Amino acid sequence: MSDATVKLKRTGLPVPLIIIGSAVLVLVCLFPFWWMGLSSIKTLRELYTIPPIWWPSMPTLDNYYTVLFESNIPRYFLNSVVISLGSTFLAMILAIFASYGFARFDFKGKPLLQSFVLVGQLLPTAAIIVPLFVTLRVLGLVNTYWGLILVYMIITLPLSVWMLTSYFRAIPVELEEAAIIDGASRLGVLFRITLPLSIPGLISVLVYAFVTTWNEFIFALVFATDSSVKTLPIGLAEFSTEFNTDWGAVMAASVVMTLPIAILFLSMQRLFVGGMTAGATKG
Amino acid sequence: MGSVSIRDVRKSYGAVEILHGVSIDIADGEFVVLVGPSGCGKSTLLRMLAGLEEISGGEVAIDGRVVNALHPKERDIAMVFQSYALYPHMTVAQNMGFSLKLGRAPKDEIQRRVSVAADMLSLKPYLDRYPRQLSGGQRQRVAMGRAMVRDPKVFLFDEPLSNLDAKLRVQMRSEIKQNHQRLKTTTVYVTHDQIEAMTMADRIVVMHDGIVEQIGTPLELYDFPNNLFVAAFIGSPSMNLLGGKLSGGAFHAADGTTIPLPFAPSNIEGELVTLGIRPEHFVIDPNGIGAEIITVEPTGSETQVAMRLGGHDVVGVFRERVTAQPGEMLHVTLDPQRIHLFDGKTGLRISRTQ
Repeated sequence: MSDATVKLKRTGLPVPLIIIGSAVLVLVCLFPFWWMGLSSIKTLRELYTIPPIWWPSMPTLDNYYTVLFESNIPRYFLNSVVISLGSTFLAMILAIFASYGFARFDFKGKPLLQSFVLVGQLLPTAAIIVPLFVTLRVLGLVNTYWGLILVYMIITLPLSVWMLTSYFRAIPVELEEAAIIDGASRLGVLFRITLPLSIPGLISVLVYAFVTTWNEFIFALVFATDSSVKTLPIGLAEFSTEFNTDWGAVMAASVVMTLPIAILFLSMQRLFVGGMTAGATKG
Repeated sequence: MGSVSIRDVRKSYGAVEILHGVSIDIADGEFVVLVGPSGCGKSTLLRMLAGLEEISGGEVAIDGRVVNALHPKERDIAMVFQSYALYPHMTVAQNMGFSLKLGRAPKDEIQRRVSVAADMLSLKPYLDRYPRQLSGGQRQRVAMGRAMVRDPKVFLFDEPLSNLDAKLRVQMRSEIKQNHQRLKTTTVYVTHDQIEAMTMADRIVVMHDGIVEQIGTPLELYDFPNNLFVAAFIGSPSMNLLGGKLSGGAFHAADGTTIPLPFAPSNIEGELVTLGIRPEHFVIDPNGIGAEIITVEPTGSETQVAMRLGGHDVVGVFRERVTAQPGEMLHVTLDPQRIHLFDGKTGLRISRTQ
C-alpha cells in the first residue's frame, strides 16, 4: 500500500475491532477441532482430569493405534469412501442432465416437476425410514453398498438439482447459441461450454453431496447392520458401549473421519470462487 | 456463393404473430442492413436465418437451398452476437478455431486459418489471451474473427456495435465495412441505428411492427421514402412533417400558412396530407415564410435551427451561419424539388407523377 492510500479515511469499523472480531470467530469455529485433535493424543486419565489439561504431559499415539489396528474403523472408512463417492457421482450425473433440462428447455409441467423434485427433501427422515427399509428389503439391497448409495443419492439429488439449475441459468444463453452456430450438438454444448463454465457450481454440489453422505447417520444405522457396509459415523458410535466410552479412541477416529472433508474443502476452496464467466459477454 | 431468399416468412409465439410475412431477396456478396425500432422483429428474423428460432411460416433459402428444417451448423452461416458471446474459458485462438475444431479440421489447418483472420483483424498479439483480458473493441474483433475463420456463405450480425462507446463504434463500423469489401461475403446486419444502416448498407430493409416498410439503397430511402414511417425513421435530424390540406396547387397548414407546391396531384384536391421536408432543404430567403426561432445550435460547419413554422416545431439545417436570436423571425422557403407529400390517411407517399 502506498502512502497516499494509507492516508485515505476508511469507512466502517476500525481495523483492530475487525481483527479481534475475526479472531474470536475463528477461535469459536476451530476450538472443537483443536480439542478433538488434542484429546486424541491424551491418555485416558488426562481426558477425565478436571480442570482440563490444555497440553498433555505425555502425548501418545495409542488412541490412533487402537483405532487403526484394533477396531473396524479402517474397514468403515473404506465403506464410507465407496458409498459417498458412489452416491455423489451418481447424484452429480443425474443432477447435471436434470438441471440442464430445467434451465434451458421449456416443456409442459416444468414448474410442477421442479417443485416435485423438492418434495422428497421436505419429508422428515423418520417418516421415510420405514418405507425405504421395506423397499430396500424387497429389492434385496439392505446391507449392500448399492442400498446406501441409492438412498444417499435420493437425499442429495433434490438440492443438487436446484443448485445446478440456478447455476446453469446464470450462464448467458448466447454462449450456447454461439456454440450451436459453430456446429456443436446439444450434448456438445453441455460438455464443451456449459459444464466448463459451471465448475464452481459443480464443485459446490460435489462438496455438498459428499459431506452430507459422509456424515449421514440415521440411514446408515438402519440400512447397514453388517460391518462389511457400516460407515464411519456408525463406527464412531460403536466406541460407546452401555457402560463405557473410549473417548480417546472416539477422538482419534473423529480426526480420521474429519481429515478427508478438511482436505476436500481446502483443495476445492479456490474453485468455489466464481468469476469464470467474467468477460464472456459485454464488458 | 451465398444468396439469401426470404419468402413470406412468418413468426408467431402462440397466438401472437410478430412477423407478418416478410420477403427479402439478398444477392450474393451484398451487405444488407435490417433496421427498425426495437420490437419490429428484425432480430427475430435474423435468428430465424441462423436457425436459432423456428420458422412458423414461409421459406428461407440460402444459396438456393431451403434451410427451414436445417440445423444451424448445416446452414453454413456465422453469426456475431450483440454481447459477443465469446467462450470465457477459451483463449482468443481457441475461440476463433472452435468451429473448425468441432468440424474436425486438422490442427495445422485450424492454426493457419486462425492466423489469417487474426492478421486481418490485428489480433495477432492477443491470440493467447482470454476474453476477460481484452477491451470491448478487441472482443468485438474476436467475435468477428470467429465468424470469418469459418469462411461461411453468409455473415449474420446482431447489433454488434451496441455495446461499444461512440468513438469505437464509428471505427468498428468502417472496419466491418472494409472487411466486407475484402471478403465479399453476403452479410445481413441488424441494427436499430439508422446511421449505421445508412453508412454501411448496400441495401437497407426498414422494418416496423413485423412488416417490411421499404427496401432500397440508402439514398433511395433517403430521397424517396415510401411512407411516413420510413420518412421519419431515416435521416438525422429527422424529416419535418407538417399536417395540412391540399388545395389550389398549394399546401395549407393548419394555422393557415400556405406553401406553394411545384406539383399538385389534382385527384386529391382538398384531402388531408402530410408534407415532409428534410432539415437541409430549407433555404433562407427574405421573401419566404416567417418562422419563429426557438433555438440556434451552431456546429461550425452548419447551423441547426429549431423553429416554429405553420404551427409545427421544425428543424432546419443551414450551411450559412445564422446570427438571428431566439424569438426573432427567420424567413425560409422550402426547396420545391425536395418536398415530399404523404397521404393523410394511409401515410403512403404521393408520387409526383400522379
